[in-house]
Amino acid sequence: MQLQHIRNFSIIAHIDHGKSTLADRIIHLCGGLSDREMEAQVLDSMDIERERGITIKAQTAALQYKSRSGEIYNLNLIDTPGHVDFSYEVSRSLSACEGALLVVDASQGVEAQTVANCYTAIELGVDVLPVLNKIDLPSAMPDNARQEIEDVIGIDASEAVLASAKTGQGVEDILEAIIKRIPAPEGDPDAPFKALLVDSWFDNYVGVVMLVRVFDGTLRPKDKIRLMAAGSTHLCEQVGVFTPKALQRDALRAGEVGFIISGIKELQAAKVGDTVTLADRPAAEALPGFKEIKSQVFAGLYPVESNQYDSLRESLEKLKLNDASLHYEPEVSQALGFGFRCGFLGLLHMEIVQERLEREFDQDLSTTAPTVVYEVLMRDGRVIQVENPAKLPDQSKVEEIREPIITITVFVPQEYLGNVITLCNQKRGNQVDMTYRGRQVQLVYEMPMAEVVMDFFDKLKSVSRGYASLDYEFKEYRAADVVKLDILINSEKVDALSVIVHRANAIYRGRELAAKMRELIPRQMYDVAIQAAIGSNIISRENVKAMRKDVLAKCYGGDISRKKKLLEKQKAGKKRMKQVGSVEIPQEAFLAVLRIGK
Amino acid sequence: MSGRKVIPIVPHGQLATNTGSTALNFRSALPLSLYVHIPWCVQKCPYCDFNSHEARSGIPEKEYVAALISDLESSLPLVWGRRVGSVFFGGGTPSLLSGEAIDTLLTAFRSRLPLLPNAEITLEANPGTVEAEKFAAFRAAGVNRLSLGIQSFNPTHLKALGRIHDDRQARRAIEIAAAHFDNFNLDLMYGLPGQTLEQALSDVDSALAFKPPHLSCYQLTLEPNTAFAAAPPSLPESDCCADMQDAIEARLAACAYTHYETSAFAQPARQCAHNLNYWQFGDYLGIGAGAHSKLTLHDRGAWEVRRQMRWKQPKEYLAQVAAGQPVQEEFSVAATELPFEFMMNALRLNQGFDAALFEMRTSLPLIGIESELRRAEQEGLLERHLQHIAPTDHGRRFLNRLLERFLAERD
Repeated sequence: MQLQHIRNFSIIAHIDHGKSTLADRIIHLCGGLSDREMEAQVLDSMDIERERGITIKAQTAALQYKSRSGEIYNLNLIDTPGHVDFSYEVSRSLSACEGALLVVDASQGVEAQTVANCYTAIELGVDVLPVLNKIDLPSAMPDNARQEIEDVIGIDASEAVLASAKTGQGVEDILEAIIKRIPAPEGDPDAPFKALLVDSWFDNYVGVVMLVRVFDGTLRPKDKIRLMAAGSTHLCEQVGVFTPKALQRDALRAGEVGFIISGIKELQAAKVGDTVTLADRPAAEALPGFKEIKSQVFAGLYPVESNQYDSLRESLEKLKLNDASLHYEPEVSQALGFGFRCGFLGLLHMEIVQERLEREFDQDLSTTAPTVVYEVLMRDGRVIQVENPAKLPDQSKVEEIREPIITITVFVPQEYLGNVITLCNQKRGNQVDMTYRGRQVQLVYEMPMAEVVMDFFDKLKSVSRGYASLDYEFKEYRAADVVKLDILINSEKVDALSVIVHRANAIYRGRELAAKMRELIPRQMYDVAIQAAIGSNIISRENVKAMRKDVLAKCYGGDISRKKKLLEKQKAGKKRMKQVGSVEIPQEAFLAVLRIGK
Repeated sequence: MSGRKVIPIVPHGQLATNTGSTALNFRSALPLSLYVHIPWCVQKCPYCDFNSHEARSGIPEKEYVAALISDLESSLPLVWGRRVGSVFFGGGTPSLLSGEAIDTLLTAFRSRLPLLPNAEITLEANPGTVEAEKFAAFRAAGVNRLSLGIQSFNPTHLKALGRIHDDRQARRAIEIAAAHFDNFNLDLMYGLPGQTLEQALSDVDSALAFKPPHLSCYQLTLEPNTAFAAAPPSLPESDCCADMQDAIEARLAACAYTHYETSAFAQPARQCAHNLNYWQFGDYLGIGAGAHSKLTLHDRGAWEVRRQMRWKQPKEYLAQVAAGQPVQEEFSVAATELPFEFMMNALRLNQGFDAALFEMRTSLPLIGIESELRRAEQEGLLERHLQHIAPTDHGRRFLNRLLERFLAERD
């Protein structure tokens, strides 16, 4: 295939704006899959992706399209995730493309996430091609949407393609526009091989699969490849493309997007962003690559039953094979026993990991409230990172605690503006900018990340009836007046319940948390005292009154087996609770801090 | 129809490894009781989870009496030579049977089993099915203890419980019972829908006016597979029920009733011998539809504690008895389960039990549960004096927690 007949593109869109549906439409039109193989949203291959209607991992499809002029084109579609937690995946995918479709719901207009991804594309020098989707809806207002694209993003939308992924209307026009307006890749098939490692994952049968975008040269099976950053060499076993089914090829050439399998056993050995070249004839210099992604949110994951620790470790190991952004290390909690402190890209990532552990790996988890990473300047001048509130050093040794500040961008229809501003103020946000963009308002705030991690996203959705959209990026660490809030049960500090909160909110949070714990802890044989404390200062006290009795009223000869089962069930239920001193605490109590105010 | 299934939970050969000691070895015979189940009622009460069926078109009395006798006969090899200390006609509503039927049955029992001369013979009666002549006939047949399911004297509460009698019938039934039986029991329930503490105490006082030798006071519990479980009535708060229990216990203690089991109270020497045998982990042979048995026996060269359940549906039971297979299910209790089963019964007794009783009833050494006993003792749920073990007041109230300590661990 000649370079001028290749187009590499991805799709940028907000969740629900129809990206996956459009991708499926395009694949279908190009004959990538037969009707029988078309399952709705084929590119979202994980169950969770399909259920939640989101894309987590980038997926690709190499498609053949016969244009209206009669020429055959090779269109490489690189699907991208739409959620802010996975924005790094978006920038990776975009690095492999020359163009991107900007899909905007013609009835809803531009959303925060779309804008952020669009800017990423423009920064990477990728041409953006606007598409107005859902044009079949009676509520579609293409002129408004077009205006918004021009106002908000600042690109020409006069030639935006009108389409409906649902009905198929305009999809061919999109393909024609791709050919006409997105540049063909450049590159020299005879130059030394040079390819960008866009993504990698673990396959149980063949080991690590590397998704690459070839910039120069040609790669064939049996060639010896070299990963430039890792400095390792491997024998290329297979090359091919995804259609989206994996299809072996005899070679991968400049301008193409495809996969390499070379018997690599560990995902860590094939780091995304590395440059693949030939060992015998290496490229002169490596491609720029990507920034290493750091975990933003941490939480403790513990097995409900302590004998499941090894099984949880194995599951995390397996999960990490496919999710290099997941970090974990062993941790011991007095209350929860042996478990792991895990680092995630964001809250959604955390939820997805939990869900996959529970569903795919059948793990029964106790989870602590998520926390951000604090930087602590010690009196002796050392700076330490604190990922677990229980590990915050004693106040007397601390000079300063710094918390991560993020810049958030919210797009919200005007009628909900007041609600959103109130919410942002409650969350200790500082307004940086407010701009009216047609029907919508763009708000920019600086906000402590800890506030966003707690429940900001849920609250934003609820105060705006789901219309507000959010994007955020890390800004800096800033000194903050935060304190550790401890929960004591019968005067015993429960490490897994400690949280770091702003001093101004500490008393309110402490009261709410203690009250919530009182609701969640069932009555026991003795009174249970719950206290919230800052340092040695008790700020709130609650009491779970002892239950008066727990006894079966009747038990005669015929009752034995049934009543025994009843007691066994009761005992099994208690086994799922965590023991703190003589108090039994149910799993959900460890997430109580997330349920304050609900 | 399928024949009887034998489901040994633990094969005999494995008992030794499970207990860490030698196989069960009983040195003396356990006391034996006979339970007779009558599975019919005029109407099913919404709280009742016993094996009872509404007798819409009368009951097949003759056929059932014959079946009970043949059921007993087929079970005789399991209890050969053992003397029977008590007989209990339970239900359902045994008072639906005629005096003649009870007479036939007791005569049949006596001729087939050595009944102790002073054996307690109890029959349960519903205050809604009481006739003076019938009670006289029961007495003449040899029944020497009557148990009346009064439940309450409050007409509103009786209605809420779906009882077929009202307060007037309740009083009349007790008068007739007291006229024919010097030994009788009244069943009361508390924690009824809409009941106050005063109302619960008033029920107890009404009962006390008849000077019953024995009283059973149960807290109403919603059992699975009952009408109440499907559509739960609104019951008093659990703290209120606990107040009721305290007040009832105090009232009965003041009237010289001994609180000897979780829900049972008796005048001196009037404890129910039949139920005591359950709670002291004695043996019992249960005949009739859905009846349960627990028999310690020596079979195929080894000791075992066998549990049996007879066919539940009256029709099926009759058919299976005719086929010589009254038992639907039976299994041998694993030695590892015996300590729990013993405790589940014996710890209901406020007086507790002697260490020797544990060893006699289970044939296991008490030392096998020493760590559990010690833990319960440390938690204040249990106390030990020399060779005597008893629940503390706290342990009595949290008996379920105490019993959990003795549940065998399983994966």
